[in-house]
Amino acid sequence: MSASSYPEISFEARMATVEFRIDEDRAHITVDDTICRDCSTRGCITACPANLFVPTAAGGILFNYEQCFECGTCYLVCNREGAITWTYPEGGHGVVFHRS
Amino acid sequence: MLVAACVKLVDLRPQVDRVSGAVTPSATPGCSAADRAAVELALTLADSWSASSAVVCCGPAAADPVLREFAASGAGRLVRLDVDGAPDSSIVGRLLAGVLGDLGADVVVCGDYSTDRGSGSVPAWVADGLGAAQALGLVQVRSEGVGSLRATRRLDGGRRERLVVDAPCVVSVEGSLAELRRAPLAAALAARDLPIEVVDAPGVVVPAPLATRPWVPPTRVQPAPTGSAALERVVELTGALVERTPPRTVELPPRQAAELILEQLRTWGYLDADDSTPGGTAAT
Amino acid sequence: MSDFDVVVVGAGPAGSAAAIELARAGRSVCLLERGPSPGSKNMYGGVVYGRILDTLVPAWWEQVPVQRWVTRRSTMLIHDEQALTVDFRNPGWGAAPFNGATTFRPDFDAWLAGVAVDAGAVLVCSTTATGLIREGGRVVGVRTDRPDGDLRAPVVIACDGVNSFLAKEAGMYPHTGAENFTVGVKETIALPREVIDERFAVRGDEGVDIEILGCTGDVPGGGFVYTNATSVAVGLVLSLPALAAGPDRPEELLRRLKAHPAVAPLVEGGEVLEYSAHVIPEAGYRMMPELVGDGILVAGDAAAMCLAAGIWLEGVNFAIGSGAAAGRAATRALARGDASAAGLAAYREMLESGFVLADHRRLRDAPHLVMGDLAQRGLPAVACGVMEDLFTVRNPEPKQGVRRIVRNRMRRNGIRVRDAVREGLRAVRTFG
Repeated sequence: MSASSYPEISFEARMATVEFRIDEDRAHITVDDTICRDCSTRGCITACPANLFVPTAAGGILFNYEQCFECGTCYLVCNREGAITWTYPEGGHGVVFHRS
Repeated sequence: MLVAACVKLVDLRPQVDRVSGAVTPSATPGCSAADRAAVELALTLADSWSASSAVVCCGPAAADPVLREFAASGAGRLVRLDVDGAPDSSIVGRLLAGVLGDLGADVVVCGDYSTDRGSGSVPAWVADGLGAAQALGLVQVRSEGVGSLRATRRLDGGRRERLVVDAPCVVSVEGSLAELRRAPLAAALAARDLPIEVVDAPGVVVPAPLATRPWVPPTRVQPAPTGSAALERVVELTGALVERTPPRTVELPPRQAAELILEQLRTWGYLDADDSTPGGTAAT
Repeated sequence: MSDFDVVVVGAGPAGSAAAIELARAGRSVCLLERGPSPGSKNMYGGVVYGRILDTLVPAWWEQVPVQRWVTRRSTMLIHDEQALTVDFRNPGWGAAPFNGATTFRPDFDAWLAGVAVDAGAVLVCSTTATGLIREGGRVVGVRTDRPDGDLRAPVVIACDGVNSFLAKEAGMYPHTGAENFTVGVKETIALPREVIDERFAVRGDEGVDIEILGCTGDVPGGGFVYTNATSVAVGLVLSLPALAAGPDRPEELLRRLKAHPAVAPLVEGGEVLEYSAHVIPEAGYRMMPELVGDGILVAGDAAAMCLAAGIWLEGVNFAIGSGAAAGRAATRALARGDASAAGLAAYREMLESGFVLADHRRLRDAPHLVMGDLAQRGLPAVACGVMEDLFTVRNPEPKQGVRRIVRNRMRRNGIRVRDAVREGLRAVRTFG
């Protein structure tokens, strides 16, 4: 057995293991917050593996695109037409897996 | 007029064990963000001055695909100094200066330092070898007409230094300065088989990598204290009663402060009493 | 004017296999990849079954970048703290022609793309295909996000992964509801080779693949643990609608799996090297898009060719099989000068007569069965309960008969015999 032991890591540390080549110029996900205000399910909040969607006190959704796995979960679970606009990031940008 | 960028092939994702500090190389070679910013700046300057551009790399053949990527983005010439292993920065700097001199580079742009524990000294060595002006660690560069740059340099404490640099010059830039432009598809396709000018670097002796181990402070021989009583020996060991010059804090304008420092150095014997201008001209 | 004979979008296993076939047939083929290198956007749930490579790359096992050869395959049913494992070992899988291998997808995909490049394909990385170029309803190329990025070719092969925006744009993908998809999340955890050998009871380059049922709480899905050379991968596959309904997030469910008494001794104590996630086209045959259009073929995950059938979890082999078939069909169509849907129709025929669609059609009900309540909750609970009753010696109480134990356990878990028999028959029909 190895002498060193690693405890369960925080979500930030978990995401820090992944390489993201961030496109500073363009967000490949956009969320139309006004549609989300009427949404009762908000599946994106629990389903997104990267935890990119956060509810705001004002009833909207705050999102970030930088640490996106580009998996597509959010737009697939979104039941509000047009709330999430999702494309792939510009070529060469976005997530880069190494040990997957 | 030729604007050249110098880049280095580095391991972009080395694995460092957090416990032992052991470094495992990855299979992701490439150029650092700073080097890519340097290429972008070189291309931008060449465009705005209607000058030609070149990318020069000191490294192994594995760098060729990365160099071709720069050609796809618009670099005019690709030159690789064929060197295996990791020669000392001073050697790399002199080799690069030789090649850049042969190319006739007027402005040389480098990344500020390589990400594989680089010291950032290669650009300075290149400037020395070329006898060119240098401006290192730039965060912003603007063209002030052909062959002239206005640059901003990062200083400690959030301060900035503004410089005007004229060709011939060597500048090094931070990675945040610019992002390398996207290559057009046709150029990316055409660049795949582009030949690269390979320059031999004969006589380069790459020293074997130093064995690394944890740093241990060097030991010094201390004579045993001579006092007969324990208290005396402790006092002697700690130097509590030895006379010393207490540290002095002064606040003076720069010129007077410099004078004071020189005076002190003379007092201590580090400078000759008649030596009033140590180390060339004072910088402003 | 065409830039290439064929543009293959996506340098994953499907795209590279298609490019290999085309390049070897003397066709000019452009292999587009949106990542900085092939495989950099891909992750998977564990094992590549390489026999499909026999025809593409003879003696592939001598060059493929492998972590370990799977010689031990376990299926684990988890209920609360209990676990029942069916464990099969076959040292024969550890020698040529081998069976399953664990590998890192960035390594494997880059290797296969390298084979395509060696065959003459033109690989262009860091380039996202943003849409199709169409003329008169026929696909004649793709648009990319590079400046002057249009690429024209009589045939486009869309191997652009599970989200296949190209197949969707071509109107070939009607089944895009969340119920057809799962999301896989995975941690790769560093452990010394000797520790892995000891924990998983293997030697040398032998590896282990463990599929787990009943470990995903209220979310239908499954789990997996498998060994790399000096790391283990532990992950979950989770149904999207249930995950979206909450309240548990993927990493919390993964934490619970890692803490389970049957799993923790295998994976604990290592540093997490990488966390990854990817969507899986779970519903297989039932969600498949149209495979052939005018000037376009769809292969791999883009065509939902991922087999998530409980005891069989395969994808890379189907991707390679379908990609190679697409490459051969495109070669034939180009030779005849007919890249219309009719000219490319051989693609579907090849898949129908081969394993790709045969397996998928046979197992078309499997995903539904495996994600059903009985398989997800009932089976692990009853199986573990039966084991507990069978092997707990309650002297001086006498032993109970097996039939009675099973009946009791089914009743306690609210499973009616009628339902169990019905699902059992469906399982026999599906898997038999």
